[in-house]
Parts: sequence; C-alpha cells; structure tokens
Amino acid sequence: MNRLLEDRKAAFIFIAPAFLLFTLILFVPIIQVIYYSLCNYTGLTKPDFVGLKNYIDLFTSDETMKIALKNSIFFMLFSGVTQQIVGLFLAVLLTNIKAGRNLFKNIYYLPCVLSSAALGLLWAFLFNPKIGINNLLSTFGIQGPNWLFNTKGFIPLPMWVIGCVALWQYVGQNMMLYMAQISGISRDIYEASYIDGASKGQSFRFITLPLIKPMLITTLSLNCIGSLKFFDLIYNMTQGGPNHRTDVLATHLYTQGFKYYKYGYASAISMVLLILCLFATFLINKCIKVETYES
Amino acid sequence: MRIEDNQKKKKKITVSGVLLYALLIALALVYLLPLVWMLSVSLKSNREVLTSPFTPPSVLQLGNYIFAWINGQLGVATLNSVIVCTTALVISLLIGAMAAFAIARMRLGFLKYMMQYFLIGMMIPVHCVLIPLFVRFSNWHLTNQLIGLIIPYITFSLPMTIFLMTGFFKSMPGEIFEAACIDGCSIYGCFIRIALPLSRVGMFVAGIMTFVGNWNELLLAMVFISDVAKKTLPVTLTYFVGPYATNYVQMFAAIIIAIAPTIIVYSIFSNQIVDGLTTGAVKG
Repeated sequence: MNRLLEDRKAAFIFIAPAFLLFTLILFVPIIQVIYYSLCNYTGLTKPDFVGLKNYIDLFTSDETMKIALKNSIFFMLFSGVTQQIVGLFLAVLLTNIKAGRNLFKNIYYLPCVLSSAALGLLWAFLFNPKIGINNLLSTFGIQGPNWLFNTKGFIPLPMWVIGCVALWQYVGQNMMLYMAQISGISRDIYEASYIDGASKGQSFRFITLPLIKPMLITTLSLNCIGSLKFFDLIYNMTQGGPNHRTDVLATHLYTQGFKYYKYGYASAISMVLLILCLFATFLINKCIKVETYES
Repeated sequence: MRIEDNQKKKKKITVSGVLLYALLIALALVYLLPLVWMLSVSLKSNREVLTSPFTPPSVLQLGNYIFAWINGQLGVATLNSVIVCTTALVISLLIGAMAAFAIARMRLGFLKYMMQYFLIGMMIPVHCVLIPLFVRFSNWHLTNQLIGLIIPYITFSLPMTIFLMTGFFKSMPGEIFEAACIDGCSIYGCFIRIALPLSRVGMFVAGIMTFVGNWNELLLAMVFISDVAKKTLPVTLTYFVGPYATNYVQMFAAIIIAIAPTIIVYSIFSNQIVDGLTTGAVKG
C-alpha cells in the first residue's frame, strides 16, 4: 500500500498536466508582465526597455489612473465591509429559521451564478435617468437623481450604485459559506450557554463570532480579490464613463491595452492590480488571528 | 410547567417569526422582481416600455425573441459558448481530478507545495496575464479560434476544481484503497475505478461551477475573439449596448435567452450545488 502511494512516477503523471498548463498559462505570463511593464511596447514593434518610465507616468501624469485607483480601493473596502455584514446577517437569519431555509438560500444565491454582463445591462436600464426606477419615483412625485451620470463628489454616485448592485449580486456567496460554518457549530455549546443564562445576543457574540472566524479569512479574501477584479458590471453599466469617473483598474487596463494598444503601459497597470491583490491577501492573513478551539 | 414553558416559547417564536419572514420575503422580492420585470419587458413593444414600463405586457411580443436570435446572431454565439464551455469542462475536470487525487491521497513531500502552488492561482486576477497571453496567442495564431479560449478557461478553472476535489478525495475512507491494493489494483486503477466513481457529487459541483464561470466570462472572450462568427454569448450581449441601445426590448429578449439555461440548470440542481460547494469549502 505504502509503496503504491509513494510511487513518484505515478504522482508525476497525475500532477503533470495541471502543473504544465498552470505554469505555461499563468506563471510564465506573470514573469512576462513584469518585463513588459518596464518596456515601451505597442504590439507592432519589439518591446523596448525603458525602465520605470511607465510607472512614473502612471502615478504622475495619468489623471484617469488616479480615479481608477481610488475607485478600485473604494470598491474593495465597500464590498469587503457590506458583503461581510449583510452576508453574515443573512446567514444568521437563515440558520435560525426552519421552514423555507433552502428556498430562501437558493433565491439569494441565484445571482451569483448568473452572468454579470447580463445583469449589468438590466441594472443600467433600471437606473436609466428617464425610464426604470426614476419613472416609478416620479409617479410618487419624487424627482429621482441621475443615478449613473452624476459626477459630483469624491466618490461619485454611480460608484455607490454599482457597489450596491455588486452587493446584491455577490452577497449570496458569503451567506452560503457562513451558513455552512454556522451549521457546523455543535448545538450543545448553545444549549450550555442558555443554561448558564446567556441571551441570544450574547451567545452570538461569544460563541458564533469566534467560531466562524476561520471563514472570515476565506470570505474576506474572496470579497477583496473579487472586487478588485471587477470588470463586467462596470463595463456594461457605465463603460467607465461619464468622463472616466467610474473607471476602475480593470477597465482602465482594458482601454489602455486593447483600445490604444499600449501593451507596456497596460502591463504596468496589471502589476499595480496584482500587487494590490497580493497585498490585500497578505494583510487579511496577517491581521486576522485564528485561535483554534477544541471541537 | 414544562408544557406551559413550551407554549410560551412557541408563541414568542411566532411573533418574531412573522417579522423575520416578512424581512426574508421582502429580500427575496428584491432578488426576484428585477428578473421577473426583465421577462415582462422582453415581451413588450418598445413604445409600451417607454410609456408604462412597470405594467405587465398587454400583447405578448414573441417577435422580440426571434429578432434578437436572428439579428443579434445569438444562435452562433450560443453554439460557440456551448462548445467552449463543454470542452473546457471535460478537460479541466479530468486534469483537475488527477492532480487532486495525487494531492489528497499520495504521500510525497512535494505534493503539499503543489497544493499551495495551485491555490496561488485563485489570488491572481485574469487581467494580470491578459497582455502576455494575448501576445503569445496571436503569435501562435490561436486568437480568433475557439481553442484559444478553451486553453485559458481550463487553466483558470483548475484551482477551484482541485480545491473542491481534494476535499472530496480526502473525505474518502482509506480502507477502500487498501482493499483494492490487496486485490492487486494499481494506483491508476484506484483512481479510475474507485476514486472517480465515488466522487460523483464533487465532480458534479466542480463541473457546474466551472461551466457557469466560463459561460459568464466576458473579458478574455472580448479580447481574444474579434471574428463575429466565433463570439461567445456574453460578448454578443455587449453589442446590444452600443448600436441597439434604443432597442430595449430586443436587448432584454437577448439577455433572457442568455441567462435562461443557467437559471433552469440552477433551479433543478440548486440544493446539490449549494450543499456540495460548502462541503468542499469547509473540509478543504
């Protein structure tokens, strides 16, 4: 048995296809992106090494980059906070009911499996200045705001709107993962706390919260990386407009790379995105200490 | 005393329960109404949408669907999506399950690092490798070919598949494999005859997640494919934003056509999907 499970040749055969594909399609290109980001490269000519010029341009003379960076970070924080709170809230609600738990769970999770390109079009229409929601508001005599075209403020209104749509679409994932974690907690612990006179609130604070902490790392990483990757909804709701006010790193990268064919410059943007992702993951894993309890 | 207590408890639950269910139903409406509304709009005429967007359609305009299907070239797009997603699904499940089996079951030091290597892939956004991948694929003449989409889709599905399948393989009792070994089964036999058939639930969940993820993928498809005859569904949808921008009803008909398969599959298998996903996630 052991001889069989320590068979190096078999292990290599099992691992090799996945490993090769992963290295060729994911890790080699990352090395290339680092190199391209240091080059003046337009796709027609060979990459021409220019050192840190792309990064200097990016952070000194590119106004859209400033907006995109600000929006991406806003998005990450907004998604992280709202999806954690609402997701956990829904999970607690649903684990406390008996009838219809699966039905509600399935409804709330539904948008997660739908195409955000399609849902983006739907919401863009609903937030249209004349038709959609504003039409409904005007029947009550309320003049609705210009949801997707308002440019005022440090974080303009469209960003909040898109943030809420993203919350609507993806909160099911957090809810589902938290529900799994909560239903894994033994009922005995709760019973014991009630015998000792703990209220529902106290048992939530001192039993549920500490015991779902490991899941916090998973969900928060998923939220942060997911929101940094955000492209489909924004592309289909505002296309980065009006006047680049709703651009995020992903849309800026797409415009620079595949509309203006500035490959080197776009590579520098992808490096910023990659570093943000890795930094967020690192921070989450460092800052959240998980104590292990005996189950 | 005890009976009284129970009754008291029951009564209390129903009072707060009503509020709780009211909240849950309100939320469910927030989720379902936009979709229902979209269905109703897709069956109206353009004029009716502008005058009374929130009433049910007076006459069912089924022509919208025919127009969207033909003018939006959704037929070709659907076929392309099916080809790309099915191929990517089959290959990534096979490759992913093989790797997961080795990681979960075999006892070799380097396999632990392999798992971490694959998990890093979950943290890297597709955007970061988009440019080098595009450059390389155009040199190899793989852009504008469906195979050029299938290869990256397989790769980006692997971390999730390996993560889920490792959880499932780890949960299998070791005795089965020992018994098979004693009967003279090779390690490949263990994988094909025992591990794969026993992990059908895991394969199913990983498969659905892979399929849905690729079915909805927009960015790669938009960058890699410029030939109209090779576009996938999400890309085709974005065309309704530009030139067809005023033709709302056809846009919504197209969206319904695009998301209907996902909704149907999801409503049939939702319990298995949600449960299976969390089993893998919690165990892994």
